[in-house]
Amino acid sequence: MKNALAALILPLYAASAGATDFGTDNSWHLTGFYSLTGAKVLSGSALGSSAPWTYQQWKCPCTIQGWEYTAVYEKEKGWQFDQESLLGLQIRKDFSPTLSATAQLVSRALNPNYGSRPTVDWAYVTWQPSVDSEWTFQAGRFRIPLYYYSDYLYIGYAYPWVRPAPDVYGWPIFTYNGANVTWRTQLGESEWAATVHAWTGSYEQHDDAYDTKIYWTDPTHEAWKQIVGAYVSANANGLDVRAMFMTYQDNLWQNGADGKRNYLLDVHDQRTRIMGLSANLDRDNWLIKSEVDRYEQVDAAKGLNGIYKYALFGVGYQFGAWTPMFTMSRYRTVAAPIEGRNTRYLSLRWDVKRNMALKLQYDVTKDKSEYSYPFWGDSKLLSVSLQGVF
Amino acid sequence: MPTLLAVAIPARAELVIIVNPANPATRMFPSQAAQFFLGGSVMFTPIEQAEGSPIRAEFYKKVLEKEPAQVQAIWSKLAFTGKGKPPAEMKSSAEVKKAVAENPKAIGYIEKSAVDDSVKVVATVQ
Repeated sequence: MKNALAALILPLYAASAGATDFGTDNSWHLTGFYSLTGAKVLSGSALGSSAPWTYQQWKCPCTIQGWEYTAVYEKEKGWQFDQESLLGLQIRKDFSPTLSATAQLVSRALNPNYGSRPTVDWAYVTWQPSVDSEWTFQAGRFRIPLYYYSDYLYIGYAYPWVRPAPDVYGWPIFTYNGANVTWRTQLGESEWAATVHAWTGSYEQHDDAYDTKIYWTDPTHEAWKQIVGAYVSANANGLDVRAMFMTYQDNLWQNGADGKRNYLLDVHDQRTRIMGLSANLDRDNWLIKSEVDRYEQVDAAKGLNGIYKYALFGVGYQFGAWTPMFTMSRYRTVAAPIEGRNTRYLSLRWDVKRNMALKLQYDVTKDKSEYSYPFWGDSKLLSVSLQGVF
Repeated sequence: MPTLLAVAIPARAELVIIVNPANPATRMFPSQAAQFFLGGSVMFTPIEQAEGSPIRAEFYKKVLEKEPAQVQAIWSKLAFTGKGKPPAEMKSSAEVKKAVAENPKAIGYIEKSAVDDSVKVVATVQ
């Protein structure tokens, strides 16, 4: 897979920037993105000991860097390029200036999610009432635009790190089938532009990697139903603020021998809420990234007290083609036994050319979980990634 | 001697931001114009100059205040999340002027010397 990906990606270096348009009237547009990511665990320990341990299928010292597809780097494997590398292709057909269809297929070096190879990350129709309308309507499949980077988590070229903080970004369900509406406007005569985006839909993933491989071992299924979410964002002069709220009914189950669903933790049509606030600044070569997020799945009658708190903060400075950054992130649960993690990141992005960046990153992660057994543990990770768009 | 002098001074053309004459806007801060070229606002439709052209380099430096890679990164986010299409790219200032003249919502930039009655100047960038 490593070689196959390299064979796919290396020719991209020579590829020109920008979309390829084709069809007799140039109404088809082919674009894409890629990440060739390698990482190596330098050291690690759990419960105060650096003696090797095992967590689920992984030999540790190890570190999880992608929760959705369970990208985990293991120290004994040295450099691994097969956990996060991916190639995405997007094709768009314009039927008219106000109607188009778009599909995005992503081939991942690692993809344990059932029935997901390659992943159809996006497939939707976009319609606007008129070319200059402030309204946009879409229907189909989308990534859930939960936190600031959620919907472009895999478009590495669009952000400064090798990957957005894994302490904040990681869910069993990250897609929805449904519809959304966007309203964009200018706030009076000011330089502020605002966007309101709302979505609704559902998604069911059988044997999803997050639940099965990280927590439950046996094939575990999850469905998010009646998803309703919205965010409001405003931007001016490189400042960008955003607030998001989403609610849905969670279902988490395994199939019994009789074929019946056994709901885990009694999570059956369980109302769940997720919210997030972010503020980002990109001005005069300075980059500031910040966000705080919260997940609540609380039901006293069932004994559920699933609250997660997430945060990240980063500062960077752009020196021409070079962008060094320092970032901190963390997450915590509130119910005992607490699960949590803190990470500090030193990252460097180098814009090799207009559509390609090379990134180097060093992460120091502290496992703050209070489990009685060794979990992911502490780790130091070195990552390198070649990321681009075409 | 006058010829030599003309060569010695870099031909730094003044850059102007233009809209359609039907557009009610009469003047604009460059930072407002930048919003449209960075996907921050959809009130106007940006028309881009050719990649690698000197005028585009100047526009990025003076108006967008961004490196080409940063601009590409911003549009990558929008294009791959279904939130926007990167600006249409024209081959020359003449084409930009034509596109702006044909679209009441369009905004573009050309050399001051290329301006004529078909478009309206809303900002001059020194």
